[in-house]
Amino acid sequence: MMTTFHSSSPLRRHAGRFSRLISAVALLPLTIGTCGLALGLVLSGLALAGYPPLAIVSRWVDGSIGGIYPLTNSLADACPLLLTGLAAGIAFRGGVLNIGAQGQFLLGAMVTVGLSTRWLIFHSAPPVIILAILAGTFAGGLWALLASVLERYRSVPIVLSTILLNFVALYVVRAILQGPLQAGGTPAPQSPQIAPAYWLPVFIPFTSFHLGIPIAFVLAVLFYALNQRTTFGFESLVIGLNPGAARLAGIRVTRKQFLVMFMSGCCAGLGGALQVLGVTHFMTGSFGNYGYAGIAVALLGRLNPLGIAGAALFFGMLDTGALRVEESSLALPHAVVNVVKAVVILLMLLLSAYLLGRKLRTRQVDPSPPGDRGSDKL
Amino acid sequence: MNPAHENLLTFLARQTVSAATPLILAGIGELVSELAGVIDIGIEGLMLTGCIAAYTIAGATGHGSLGLATAILAGMAVAALFAATTISGRADQIVSGTALNLLALGLSGTIWSLYQNWRGNHDLSTALPHGAGYSRLAVGALARLPFFGPVFFDQYSLFYATVLLAAMVWGIIRFTRMGLILRALGDSPQACQACGIAVRTWRWLAVLFAGGCAGAAGAYLSIMRTHAFATDMTGGQGFVVLALVIFGRWSMGGLILGCLFFGAINSLQQTLQTARYTSHYAALHALQSVPFEVFQMLPYVAALAALAVLSRNHPGPHRLGRPWPEEISL
Repeated sequence: MMTTFHSSSPLRRHAGRFSRLISAVALLPLTIGTCGLALGLVLSGLALAGYPPLAIVSRWVDGSIGGIYPLTNSLADACPLLLTGLAAGIAFRGGVLNIGAQGQFLLGAMVTVGLSTRWLIFHSAPPVIILAILAGTFAGGLWALLASVLERYRSVPIVLSTILLNFVALYVVRAILQGPLQAGGTPAPQSPQIAPAYWLPVFIPFTSFHLGIPIAFVLAVLFYALNQRTTFGFESLVIGLNPGAARLAGIRVTRKQFLVMFMSGCCAGLGGALQVLGVTHFMTGSFGNYGYAGIAVALLGRLNPLGIAGAALFFGMLDTGALRVEESSLALPHAVVNVVKAVVILLMLLLSAYLLGRKLRTRQVDPSPPGDRGSDKL
Repeated sequence: MNPAHENLLTFLARQTVSAATPLILAGIGELVSELAGVIDIGIEGLMLTGCIAAYTIAGATGHGSLGLATAILAGMAVAALFAATTISGRADQIVSGTALNLLALGLSGTIWSLYQNWRGNHDLSTALPHGAGYSRLAVGALARLPFFGPVFFDQYSLFYATVLLAAMVWGIIRFTRMGLILRALGDSPQACQACGIAVRTWRWLAVLFAGGCAGAAGAYLSIMRTHAFATDMTGGQGFVVLALVIFGRWSMGGLILGCLFFGAINSLQQTLQTARYTSHYAALHALQSVPFEVFQMLPYVAALAALAVLSRNHPGPHRLGRPWPEEISL
C-alpha cells in the first residue's frame, strides 16, 4: 500500500543514509590504520598527562593476549560485543537505525536470569538452559519490535524511540531486580546467582571460554552467508541503500524492516542471555555498556558480519587489557577504553569522508555545457 | 534548602523551573541546529562534557564563572569535532552523534579519575569545595512576591540568562533575515546556495552555538543545581531534549512548554524520592508503595507517549539530517 509510506517525518526521508559506509567495504587497510592511529592518539594524550606509554602498551598486551586466561577473557568479552555489534550491523545495513541494543541486551539478560533462577526449574539442566536462552533472545526481539510498531503506526522516529526505550528498559530491569527477582539478604537491585548446573559448559576448566563464544562466532558466519547468498540479504541491502528504489522494485519495505528489526533485537537479547549464563551468572542494576559499544563495533566492522567479528575481538582485547592496566601500579582509569572506541569511530568517519570527498570534488569541477554560461546575462 | 518552609505547590513549581532550565538551554541550541538541518544526537555527550569541564575547573580554581566559561568552550570544542565530521566530512549525523556520546562518556570518566588522583585521594567527596559553585541569585524585592518570587526570581543566574537567550533566539528566528536564513538552511539548502549563502559555514555556526548552549546546560547541572559530579550525571536528559524539540514542533514556545512539563515530572519524581526518607509532605506518602523505578522511568515513557501522540505529520525542517551537498554518486 502506498499510503503506508509517510513522507511526513524528516527522519524517515533518508534515501540510503548508510550507502557510503556499505559501499566502502573493502577498506581493510584503512580500518586497521584507523585503529592504530586512534591508539596512537590516545597514547600520546596519556603521555602528555604523565603516563608512560610503553609501560601501558606492554601491560595492555600482557593483559589481553599474554597467556591462556587473558586470552579466554578477551574472547568472553568479545562475545557480547559481537552480538550487539551484529544487532547494530544488521539493522543499519537494512536502513533501520536501531540504537536500542542496550535495552534489548538488558531485557534478554533479565528474562534469562529470571527463568534460570526462579521461574523455570526442572531436574535436568539442558531444557532450562535452552528455553532460557530462547526466551531471552525473543524478549530482546520483541522489545525492538515495539520501536518498529511505534514508527509504523505513530511515526515516531526509530532513532528516538530506541534511545528512550533503552532508559525504560533499564528502569524496568532495575524494578524487577528490586522486586520479584531480588536476591535474599540485600537491599540492592541484584538477582540471585544461577545454580552452577545451569551455567553454560566451559571448554577449558577454570577459564571463561564458554559455549556461547563459538555460538556467537558461528552466528556471525551465518549472517555473512545470509547477507551474501540469500534474497533476504540482498533485499535488505537494497532497502538500506535506497528505500524508495526498493519500494519501486516491489520489495515490501515495511515488512522487511520489521523482520530486520526483530532479528537485530534477537541478536542483542541473545548477547544478554549468553553473558548471564556464561560469564556473570547473576545480574545487577548496572550490567555493562555492551549495547552502545556494539554500535562502534558494527561501524568498525563496516556492517559486514565477519568484519564485526574482528572488531569485537579488537574491542574485547582492548577492554580486558585495560583491566590489567587499571589494576597495575599505573592505575589508568578504565574509561580510557571508551575514549579509544569513540576516537576510532570519529577517525573512521573522518578518514572515509576525506577519501570519498576527493571523489566528490573531482566530480564537481565538471564544466557545465557552454550554452548555460551566458543565460544569466539576459 | 529546606522544603519544610515552603508549601508543597511552591516547592514543586520552583523545582520544576529549576529542572527545566538545563533542558530549555540545551533545547535552544538543538532547535537552532535542527532548524539549520543538523540533528545532533550527541547533545547528551555535549552536556556531559559541560558538566565535567565546569566541575573540574570550578573545583580547581575556586571560581564558578571560570568553570562556566570553560564548559561553554568545551561544549563548542566537542561540537566542532561533530561539525568537522558531519558538515565538512558529510558523515552520517546520527552515527557521529552516537560516537560523540561515547567520547564524552569516556573523556568525562577519564578526566574525573585524573582529577581525583590530582586531589590526592580516591574517596574524595563529590561535592564542590565551598564557594566554588554558584548560589541562587534573588532579584531584589521581586523575590519576596508570594509564589512567583521563589519560583521565578530566586533561581540561579543562568536561569535568567536562559530566559533572555530564549527570547532573543525566538525574536531572531521569527523576525530577522538571519532567522530566515537559518530556517532556509534546513528546508532548502539549495535555495540558500543559489542566494549566495555559504551553507556549510552557517551550519558550522549553528552547531557551535548548540555546543555552547549544551555546555552551559551541563555546567548548570554540575556547578549550580547539584554542586557535584557523578559519572553519567546527565542520565539521558540530552535525549529527552531531542524528543522535546520534536514534541514542540520546532518552535520555541512548544519547546519551553515541553521542557516545563518534563521539569514537573522530574521534580515530582525527585521530591517523591526524598519524601521516602523524610516526613515532609504527608500528601505524597500514599504514592510510596509504588516502586521507585516507576517514577524514574516516567520522563522517558512520557516522552515516548508524547511523540506517539503528536509526531504524526509534524512539520520538520525538510532536509533535517542530510549532508550538504546532498548527493554524490560512487
